Amino acid sequence: MSLSTWIELIVSGLITGGIYALIALGLNLQYGLMRILNIAHGEFLLVGAFLTWMVHTSFGLSPLLMLPVTFGLLLLLGWVLHRLCFRPLTQTSPNLDVFEARGLMVAFGLMFLVKSFVTYVWGGDIRGYDYMSQPVNLGFGQFAANKLLIFGLALLFCAALIVLLRLTLLGKGVRALMQSPMGAQLVGIDTKRLHPLMFGIGLGLSGVAGVLLSMAFTISPDMGQAYTITALIVIALGGFGSMGGALVGGLLLGVIEAIAMHFTSPSLKALLSYLVFIGVLVLRPEGLFTRKGRKA
Amino acid sequence: MNSRQTLLRDVLILFAFAGWAVALPGFASDFVLSLALTCLMYVALSTSWALFCGTTRYLSLATAAFFGVGAYTSALLVETWPWWQVVALGALVAALLAVFMGALVLHLRGTYFAILTFGMTELIRHTVTFYESTVTGTVGRMILVAPDSKTVYYTVLLLAVAAVATSIVVRRTRFGLAMRGIGSDEQRAQTLGVDTRLVKIGGFALTAAFAGAVGAAMAVRWTYIDPTTVFNPFIGFQTVLIALIGGAMTLWGPLLAAILFSILAETLRLQAPELYMMSLGLLLILFVLYLPGGLASVRWFMLHAAWSALREGWRVRRYRWSGQQARDEARARQRARERRHV
Repeated sequence: MSLSTWIELIVSGLITGGIYALIALGLNLQYGLMRILNIAHGEFLLVGAFLTWMVHTSFGLSPLLMLPVTFGLLLLLGWVLHRLCFRPLTQTSPNLDVFEARGLMVAFGLMFLVKSFVTYVWGGDIRGYDYMSQPVNLGFGQFAANKLLIFGLALLFCAALIVLLRLTLLGKGVRALMQSPMGAQLVGIDTKRLHPLMFGIGLGLSGVAGVLLSMAFTISPDMGQAYTITALIVIALGGFGSMGGALVGGLLLGVIEAIAMHFTSPSLKALLSYLVFIGVLVLRPEGLFTRKGRKA
Repeated sequence: MNSRQTLLRDVLILFAFAGWAVALPGFASDFVLSLALTCLMYVALSTSWALFCGTTRYLSLATAAFFGVGAYTSALLVETWPWWQVVALGALVAALLAVFMGALVLHLRGTYFAILTFGMTELIRHTVTFYESTVTGTVGRMILVAPDSKTVYYTVLLLAVAAVATSIVVRRTRFGLAMRGIGSDEQRAQTLGVDTRLVKIGGFALTAAFAGAVGAAMAVRWTYIDPTTVFNPFIGFQTVLIALIGGAMTLWGPLLAAILFSILAETLRLQAPELYMMSLGLLLILFVLYLPGGLASVRWFMLHAAWSALREGWRVRRYRWSGQQARDEARARQRARERRHV
């Protein structure tokens, strides 16, 4: 195998990895901050993807224009969902374990609801549209322009979230809440406002990932669950609550998948990712998924 | 009610249900019979699920894996082996799988356990699909020789009755008590001398055996099976959903919810499948939020209180909407004005 084939493999792996990282960051924010394992995360990606497909094919609007619209729309949806479902749950659950179990069930309900809604509104067919698919020569290989654009935008959004968490006062509050919920409340951080906002931002990122996906790949209502699982794997790889870890883990998983699929067969993709997922969780559950000092 | 009376009541209710179900093929139409079969299948699945997962609060999503393993066992052997041995073997294979899976993941609690059992189900499904497509070169399997539908019905009925009976019996043994102890505080149960590891694996295998047997019996209903239908995670989800909505800690809750659900499923699913799924999701969310104890936790006084609150609310509204309230207020103002004049 020549060098250029390797480079092409790695770059195409990085491109899918960028999307994985974006989805995983949103889920990591929700689980890390609020202990809501939002198994419906991938289904909200469908909403973004199908909305963009509909607007692009019927009105001819640029998918780029749909990025802020989808983000805002899903942020609002996340805010409302948190107020309607997860806040009452926080108030009625006796402890965190019960909250986590009930939150998971609510998320399963959301998964059914959103997936069936998408199928009901847009149908169960595979969809796709053409957008900037001409190849660009980068010197070491040819890549479709839309895929490069996706990669750039995914990295941009990941970086924006990490900068937001690292440099702003809002981000400082969020990080404090992740380290110690009780301590953060004692120094005056308002969980009642931060939690719905962060849940909304998580969903918004998922919607953005959907918009990006629809630019270059075909979309169908069945793909949501696969992306949720991928996001879970990425979190398991990169470390629970760690945003930088999720970014690196996402890119890494993309590259691993691209190389493994090249050498085996594409039908093994799902099998491989579940194997990695279970392997990581069974062999190293602590330190990957949970906080330091707290056993699973 | 003391415990003897409870036992007597439970056994009598079980006899009444079983009696109706036995008599059903004598007079019911084919449609009703297939409805009853679905219903019995979910009674068996969710009652046996609640037996382990409800009492110990280990949320397993692996029912589909056991169901699928049982179904595949049946598909491979039904043409050569006697029927009862096929069903028993389906149960055995599923139980062995559960022992292996349980030894691997039962030391993890809560969300971990749920996600891992779900992941393992998907792993098994993808492995079987991969094996079928690369080694044997087929996607699914045809079942050409199958027992008639009455045999299948009575087999599933027997399994459902066995699941409820096992549930009644296990609740009254040390084993059941140990599982309840694990559910309320695992460490304390351990301290009091319960071998939690053994109890958990045993309970998990018991649940799996029922799911495997039901899978083996139901497989012959479809003439063609493939991994996507028999390992469908939806089978697992719906089992959990029925048990939770009925009340996972109770004996009769899952049965009640299974009956309601199969009627809802058969009437709604054919006309509007998406609507059916959406209502399932919505129901799950509403029950977890507002009635975490399930249908079986509803008591008469709650219904009574809800009913009187509804009537009171309606009375107030009617008073306002009919204009009576406005008239009364105007009259009161008028009187107050006249009093001032005097």
